[in-house]
Amino acid sequence: MKKSMSLIFLMIIGLIFWVPGLGHSADKAIRVGNAGAFTGDAAAPCMEIFNSSQIAVDEWNAKGGIKGMKIEHIMGDDAMDPAQAVNVAQKFCADNLMYGVIGPPMSHTAQATLKIYSGCDLALITTAASKADLTEQGYKNFFRVNARNDAHGWNCALFITRNLKIKRVAVLNEKVAYCENIASETIKGLKKLGIQDKDIMQDTIVAGAKDFSPVLTKVKTFNPDLLFFVATTAPDQAIGVRQAKELGIKATFFGTEGARDKKDFIQASEGAAEGAYVYHFAPDVYAIPEAAGYIKKFEAKYGSLSGFGPPAYEAMNILLAAMDKAAKAGKLTRKEVLKNVAQTKSFKGILGFPVTFDKKGDLEGGATYFFRVEGKDFKQITVMTGK
Amino acid sequence: MDIYLQQLPQQLVNGLTIGGVYALIAIGYTMVYGILSMLNFAHGEVYMMGGFAGWWVLHLLSRENVPIVNAGLVISLMIIISMAVTGLLGMGIERFAYRPLRKAPRMNLLLSALGVSIFLQNIVLNYQGAKARFFHVSSLIPEGIRVFQIGNVVFSFLRILVVVVAFLLMALLTVIVKKTKVGKAMRATAQDTEAAMFMGIDVDRIIVLVFLIGSALGGAAGTLVGLLFTQVDYYVGFQAGLKGFTAAVLGGIGNIFGAMMGGIILGLVESLATTFFPATYKDVVAFVILIIVLIFRPWGLMGEKIPEKV
Amino acid sequence: MDHDLIKKELSKTNKVILCAVIGIILVVVPHLMPNNYWLRIYAMTGLFVMLALGLNVVAGFAGLLDLAYVAFFGIGGYTFAFLSSNHFDIHLPFLLVLPLSALITMGFGFALGASSIRLKGDYLAIVTLAFAQIFKLLLLNLDRPINITGGVNGIYNFDPISIFGLKMISPVAYSYLIWFIAIIVIIGSFRIKKSRFGRGWEAIREDELAAEVMGVNTTRMKLMAFAGGSFIAGASGTLFASFQDSVFPNNFDFPQLVVVYCMVILGGLGNIVGVILGAILLSILPEFLREYGAYRMMSYGLILIVLMALRPKGILGGIEFLTKEKRRQDKDETGLLRASTDLYYSEGDLLEQNEKPRYTRSDRPILELKKVAMNFGGLMAVNNLSLRLREKEILSIIGPNGSGKTTVFNLISGIYPPSFGSIFFEGTDITGLKPHLVAKAGIARTFQNLRLFSNMSVLDNAKVGQFCRTKSGPLSILFHLPLHKEEETETEKIAEEILSLFGARLTGYRFNQNAMFLSFANRRRLEIARAMSTNAKLLMLDEPSAGMNPQETIEMTNFIKKLRDSHGYTILVIEHKLNVVKTISDRVMALDYGSKIAEGSYDEVANQKQVIEAYLGRKRN
Repeated sequence: MKKSMSLIFLMIIGLIFWVPGLGHSADKAIRVGNAGAFTGDAAAPCMEIFNSSQIAVDEWNAKGGIKGMKIEHIMGDDAMDPAQAVNVAQKFCADNLMYGVIGPPMSHTAQATLKIYSGCDLALITTAASKADLTEQGYKNFFRVNARNDAHGWNCALFITRNLKIKRVAVLNEKVAYCENIASETIKGLKKLGIQDKDIMQDTIVAGAKDFSPVLTKVKTFNPDLLFFVATTAPDQAIGVRQAKELGIKATFFGTEGARDKKDFIQASEGAAEGAYVYHFAPDVYAIPEAAGYIKKFEAKYGSLSGFGPPAYEAMNILLAAMDKAAKAGKLTRKEVLKNVAQTKSFKGILGFPVTFDKKGDLEGGATYFFRVEGKDFKQITVMTGK
Repeated sequence: MDIYLQQLPQQLVNGLTIGGVYALIAIGYTMVYGILSMLNFAHGEVYMMGGFAGWWVLHLLSRENVPIVNAGLVISLMIIISMAVTGLLGMGIERFAYRPLRKAPRMNLLLSALGVSIFLQNIVLNYQGAKARFFHVSSLIPEGIRVFQIGNVVFSFLRILVVVVAFLLMALLTVIVKKTKVGKAMRATAQDTEAAMFMGIDVDRIIVLVFLIGSALGGAAGTLVGLLFTQVDYYVGFQAGLKGFTAAVLGGIGNIFGAMMGGIILGLVESLATTFFPATYKDVVAFVILIIVLIFRPWGLMGEKIPEKV
Repeated sequence: MDHDLIKKELSKTNKVILCAVIGIILVVVPHLMPNNYWLRIYAMTGLFVMLALGLNVVAGFAGLLDLAYVAFFGIGGYTFAFLSSNHFDIHLPFLLVLPLSALITMGFGFALGASSIRLKGDYLAIVTLAFAQIFKLLLLNLDRPINITGGVNGIYNFDPISIFGLKMISPVAYSYLIWFIAIIVIIGSFRIKKSRFGRGWEAIREDELAAEVMGVNTTRMKLMAFAGGSFIAGASGTLFASFQDSVFPNNFDFPQLVVVYCMVILGGLGNIVGVILGAILLSILPEFLREYGAYRMMSYGLILIVLMALRPKGILGGIEFLTKEKRRQDKDETGLLRASTDLYYSEGDLLEQNEKPRYTRSDRPILELKKVAMNFGGLMAVNNLSLRLREKEILSIIGPNGSGKTTVFNLISGIYPPSFGSIFFEGTDITGLKPHLVAKAGIARTFQNLRLFSNMSVLDNAKVGQFCRTKSGPLSILFHLPLHKEEETETEKIAEEILSLFGARLTGYRFNQNAMFLSFANRRRLEIARAMSTNAKLLMLDEPSAGMNPQETIEMTNFIKKLRDSHGYTILVIEHKLNVVKTISDRVMALDYGSKIAEGSYDEVANQKQVIEAYLGRKRN
């Protein structure tokens, strides 16, 4: 009995004192964090974000890092669980060598962790969290290198009604934050622009379900002019456009940013995507000369690029630039880095437009670019800026 | 009312064909459960790996997304090789994760299966990445027969193939289990492992054989379904597993014909639920039906009530 | 005789020291945490300890594979979100919401339990899994047309909580609150385990049928297990929601369920200390692997596989904590090695044989079978059987294998109702009564194939019998009310007395030994002891001496006689060994193919042609 008692005591005491001590690393380095769902069913887009950020970090390190110190890129996996996201946030906050974080890419994990990151003054740049009210809650450390879904939704509604002159729309969306919110914002916009309730159908799809025939059959019966297929990833949308065509749905197919992927959408649909539209918050990255280097590196190592990568590369560069500026001014602190990020004005990166953060941390401008699939590639059709 | 009637024929076809997919996966589950009374949670991941194995074969035998040999040959090779790979995988899983737990309480076995499932899923995630792999079906199956229409209803060759294959496999398995010597040994092991041992049946061998067959079936299912939906990714196992064993349990777990019925019924329930409710509730409907069936007929629709010997 | 006393409880002073030390640790630790990160981990660990102990009640004690557990966690969380935020504009105080939410969750637990009561093992797992999936889908989708659950966007920004005027906002405050409740749950777990509830649950886990026959109301206890587990889950959910200041469907999903199950299995089903350690380990370990994404998950998988294979009883498998175990002394007083106690006769046993019998059979009928028949789908296992058993009579049932003897026992026990006929005990109709009610009426039995509660101690096996004679409920147990204390003392006394009737074999250090470690003969004895401890009037012994050597058989024969002669039991025995039958029986009944072929004294029955033929076959002329 005595033995077991002392065993318990030793273990508990050991844990209390030894474990927290591990947090303190002896070496001097500079760290940036990357919070996201790197395991679970959202791993594909999140890994693209991580890998793109990694390319940026590698490039900076090749140039000597910041103030001569190597930059460490730390992954904080939350598996889409807000509780684990909070753990990640606390961990990053507690790490004295961490000066900024990329992510979280999902609106619900962002919501759960905003307060914590704000409390420790860590600059937080997301590349995909699009829920509008994230930047309406007064947090001064949260920035977006992507558009808000109210802006996107409105622009999509404009595009649908004005450019495509569509009168009857079916909207299918996944039940995840990004898709749900884009869908509702778009529908809101459509109604505002005069489309009647009876001409709008909304239903749901499940990510990764692979078979959308039942719900697509419903769409076929509804007989819309446009099918807005709001899914996260390109593969799902490839299946969607393909099965829609097989079922004989005549409506034009309209996909999301995730589908802006030559291989995983156009090629994968084997021709079914011809004439489909997608939107994106940035112009065609392949047409931007500055992006060529990044694209080449990414495709060489990780395969095809979809819409999630470029903003991550951009965001990491913005963050590292801010850290570099602070270091050069001799004031490498979180507050200073935060200040620099907030002051980002006309940052010329690879997105094809200069990045400026407005007072709330949103991307100034908030334009939406629309593309159509022609042959093996996307052709930019127009840009909507909300007017 | 009209809009419902209008889509009904197509929805029935949809349901039947997705039902075929579920049946295919369910058969693997039910085989293992029938002999070993064990729900092999890892079956979904075996199915996933079968899909990847099939993809690799296709990839190796194609240049620029066009197969270099006859399409029929390619597909057959895909299926055979994926069956071989997953059969071996299943045997390995049995040997290392399940055999040590033969005498352990049920929960441990289920958790070990869960562990295998998590492990396999993440190994694939780590080494192959999170992206999906594509099967370039249009070069394998010409447009004309791939999708065709009868009246207002659209049929797909591959979907029909899946149902037919499920049916054939079911029949084949039933014949093996009921009419062959090895099948008899399997049934004996299922009823009373100890007695079977005393009768000279090498129970270990039988169990390995069961896993081999069950996993090979899972692998074939993975490849076929990969072709059907043109994709496979590291996460398909989870959903497939859930649906598959829901179908197996619905039909009466341990009963091969029940697996087929359970799959078809589940598929029909889903597509009909989608017709009448928002699509997202189809899973709720499916699960509610499962719960109701199990409460009133705990041994499933086709299962047998096995009295306990006191 | 061995008078070694076993101290199962810690001595008073040790207990006080333990409490003081734990108290000091809990007060000091939050301030020792170097930063908010570890403080958060500390608090989350407390939550997981609670959650794991709640699951331990359902899956650990009662052995019910409840895969809906995480949904109850979610119900607790969302209830708090509904009742303390701007979502529905309801703002109830925390001290009200916490118990309310736990009770509401418990209600759902009851409902789920009630609907799945008939399901066994894997099917229960599937139904509960389906329920959990439905729950998650409802959370995701009940945001249209009216927003009930917030859908994917969850619900956030809750009212800050205050307890007795103290505002709880800081992480330190939360860690105090969470661990305070965790300690309450821990204490409650220990108390429940050492009570009739704990024993009843563990009996169900070990062998549900045997538990039912021994008087445990398995239906009610399974419901209570579901309710208890979900109560704790609901409370944890509420605390969690307040701590995170938000709830999302992703918080209450399959991965979280897996983690909690791992904690319980790691610790060992039912092993409270183990589960606590498992919860601590699995709260802290993943944090080291957070940078490693897929590798982290892979190692989870590997841990599960390896652990299940190597240490299925959990990391502490078999190590008893907080008990003082007396090791069996290998040498006796003279220094010689002790022989096996089965052959170790002490003087006392021989003396008792010559006592005068206190009871003999009376004429009053105690058990009546009236034209009882049992039809198993076409096979008549028992056919038109009538029997009148008198009080304190010893009646042996003989017959070849398959003649329906055990079926008769099963019918009397209530395991299944007869197809025809009726059974009366002490004038009351007990036909088709549930087994635990039959036990309560005063009939107990042993099983042909031994159905002991293997992972429970000898003493606990014996104590289970007293389940139907005691009535303290959860409140009594948790608050250590006098009723519970009295019943516990009484139960222990009765159990020890009965066990000591078998000499030194089941007493002393054996009290705490798990039943699975006993020798075969001792196990048979324990089964009888367990049946006796139900305060039965009628004992039904199914082949009590099967598998025993001649010496043990003689001892058993004498023991059965003593049961009636000194203790006044009425006894029905199924026996094959005719010398035993001859020695003990007042009357003998012979069965063949389910029908009675002879009844009377041993000599009358044994010499009947039909009986001889049944055993030996007809002579061929």
